[in-house]
Amino acid sequence: MKISRRDFLKTTALTSLYFAGFGMQSYANSGTKKNLVVIMLRGGMDGLCAIPIKDDKNFEKLRSKINLDRTLQLTSDFDLHPALKTFKNLWDQNQSAAVHATNIPYTGRSHFDGQNLMESGGKIPYQEKTGWLGRGMKIAGLTGNGLALALPMPLLIRGVPMNNNYFPAGHKLPYPSTLEMIQKVYKEYDEKLLSENLEIILTRDLSNTSSDESWVLATNAANELSKPDGPRVAVFEVDGFDTHAAQGATNGAHADCLSDYDNIVRSLKSSMTKEAFDNTLILTLTEFGRTIKQNSSNGTEHGYGSAVLMAGGLVKKAQVHADWPGLKKKELFEGRDLNSTIDARSIYASAMSTVFELDFKKIKNEVFWGENLQNLSDKLFKV
Amino acid sequence: MKNFFRKVGFGIGPNEEVPSDPLNWALNQLNEIPKLSWTGQIYSEKELRKHYGKWVYGDRKKLRKKYKDNKTLYKVEKDKLRHQTGQKFWESLEISIRHNEAINSSAPVLAKLWMFWGNFFAISEKDFLANYSTGAYHREIIRPNLNQTFEKLVYDATTSWAMIHHLDNSESAGPKSVTARDDWRKRKNQPATINENHARELLELHTVSPKAGYTQEDIIQLAYLMTGWQQKWNKSQLETGNVWFNPEYHQPGKKKVLGKEYKSGKKSLANVIKDLVNHPNCRNFVAERLCRYLITDEPTKEMKQPIIDAFKRSDGNLTEIHKAAIKVAFDYNDKFKKFQTPENWFIQVAKIGNLQWPPSPDVMGAYELGFKPTRKQRSPERLLRNMGHHPYRAKQPNGWSDHSDDWISPELLIRRLVYAKLSASFSQMENNQNGYFENIVEKNFDNPSKIMKYLNQKNRFVEKQTLLYNHPEFLRS
Repeated sequence: MKISRRDFLKTTALTSLYFAGFGMQSYANSGTKKNLVVIMLRGGMDGLCAIPIKDDKNFEKLRSKINLDRTLQLTSDFDLHPALKTFKNLWDQNQSAAVHATNIPYTGRSHFDGQNLMESGGKIPYQEKTGWLGRGMKIAGLTGNGLALALPMPLLIRGVPMNNNYFPAGHKLPYPSTLEMIQKVYKEYDEKLLSENLEIILTRDLSNTSSDESWVLATNAANELSKPDGPRVAVFEVDGFDTHAAQGATNGAHADCLSDYDNIVRSLKSSMTKEAFDNTLILTLTEFGRTIKQNSSNGTEHGYGSAVLMAGGLVKKAQVHADWPGLKKKELFEGRDLNSTIDARSIYASAMSTVFELDFKKIKNEVFWGENLQNLSDKLFKV
Repeated sequence: MKNFFRKVGFGIGPNEEVPSDPLNWALNQLNEIPKLSWTGQIYSEKELRKHYGKWVYGDRKKLRKKYKDNKTLYKVEKDKLRHQTGQKFWESLEISIRHNEAINSSAPVLAKLWMFWGNFFAISEKDFLANYSTGAYHREIIRPNLNQTFEKLVYDATTSWAMIHHLDNSESAGPKSVTARDDWRKRKNQPATINENHARELLELHTVSPKAGYTQEDIIQLAYLMTGWQQKWNKSQLETGNVWFNPEYHQPGKKKVLGKEYKSGKKSLANVIKDLVNHPNCRNFVAERLCRYLITDEPTKEMKQPIIDAFKRSDGNLTEIHKAAIKVAFDYNDKFKKFQTPENWFIQVAKIGNLQWPPSPDVMGAYELGFKPTRKQRSPERLLRNMGHHPYRAKQPNGWSDHSDDWISPELLIRRLVYAKLSASFSQMENNQNGYFENIVEKNFDNPSKIMKYLNQKNRFVEKQTLLYNHPEFLRS
């Protein structure tokens, strides 16, 4: 382990001084269509499995059964899980990066509360009925610009009207004249949400008879995101990160999930136009990381700190950004989990500020209730 | 008022009489648990678990080793084993039994509550549980308890094989237990640790809910208390052995959960469950969930109170709790119309429209072990999965949502449009006669002439069906 907390803080202090005078900068629309893609990793993504720390004897000992026997090279401090091949290719082109030892400020370790909060962006489970991304889109005026590649509409993207989702049923719709009659009766009964959703179905250009495999979904999303008048936000879901048992190492349950993520990024990269990919940011989101120590079933328990993976042309440079808290017992959260030293919401707020071209403070105040979030835009993204 | 038959049941079929006293019609279904009305073969949970055991043993212990160098042959043999153990068939059979109970039994209200509790104590998609076991768990663990106490239901669900496997309790070992000192643990570097999963969900989802304010320490203590409850492991059945209390895995010493102390040993699980179900938060939680399922997304205090009172008065007797909930649903019938979840909606379409659904006992009975099930025999599983509401394949242990917004999106709406249209292909010959729509609309709506006027704008049967099943008054009840 070569970076120390002090080194990090030194650079941070300098940068914040340097930017102190530029707080109220205006964000004129650049005229380029920029896209934000969020891939939700449900179940608790193990940041230390995706991006393990190097040369930490204690870590290796605690994970003797699930250590990676083969890794891809990232930095002098961190390795990469071999399942993340596309991520590595993008890394070599300065188009992927990660923030480590970060998470939403939730320490309760329940999936349901945690996933609710990672999507709502709040602190009290089930209190908010909208998601941080939906609220951000709303203040950016991005009505009708969201696309979820999922069957239900994720909470994350709720809060702005007219979002679309795509998960083909494999069957053809009834005749348009029948649909129009249904639309009429929805309006008569004041069924706003149903009516709004039917309007999207009637006007969109997506095949209902295609397949729902994730690479097909990603390819469709890539096409839509590349259209000048297409959606500007897309949301994916990958399940299965909750590996209490048989987590595996280089291969295994967690590796398969990471590979699901990597395949989505690969399809996006290969099917988007170059211009679109260059103006896109792809971020991951999870409810918590996992315990440092393996359990007796060679799995890991619910933890706290994890990592956020970032890809796309709007990534500033290949880097693992971290205020590394250390893995000694006293450095761990409650003596068992990687600590979170960066509120992951700072990353998401900064990403929305960059992609939606909105003042960071506006997002902080109107999306995250003015909570104490850092503007990381200039460190992580191409502003 | 007629929406009540859909609110607490699945509507009135074209060959049924409309009950003259709706409330008593519903209440009278709640006293006894009748035999399932499915006339085809029903397999026991144990028998189905044996198939599960054969599958894991065959695949894990034999095929993977035997064909470790030949991927293609391995795949072929694996598929053979799949069909030898009925892996692609059982869940469709279970859904058929479930839907038949809602559509053709004399107790549809009980069936609707059965579905509620199955989802309350959900077994989510994990390993091969949906393929072999979850349907049987709903039949053998949830259903017989519907006129017992909530406490007994919690205990039976907690110690059921499906739940123990679902929430990893077999993996939990007390750090000071007998097994912690086993030589093999040192040799294999596998110290005994607890797995908190089951303990957490017992508090969060099955009893008091997070509003009770328990701490991480409460969860750890409950996990200690639950150590030892596991599947009996042996070399031939692997993880599919019966649930037992293995004292060698049990953490010795006292445990303290939510301020109360429990002794070490097998009996402490029953004791802690007794205390948890008597926690005021538990009653409130159960009342809230029932109201949300039947009445509205945001239940009020006034709505919940009669259910909470019935819970308290009857010591958690489920018949009394159900009766209170149905009465509340009746009282609020006109004021709140609940948007029906996809599965409930489809069952209503099938019952009200007199569809050939589910596949008949003859169709399902023609299945032969070792063969691939026919398209028709697999249709229940495929249909519900495509609709996004497969009762044995919820994504997480908290089951499927009862919030309306969670069931509205362009794609979910497309499913309603598509399946309303496709329902014409499930229609029976006898439905092709004059008066079919008049009859079903008359029996299920308070304003039949208005609905008929709407349907009559179209001439074709399939279009009328599409319109009816997507009408706001059909979608909500």
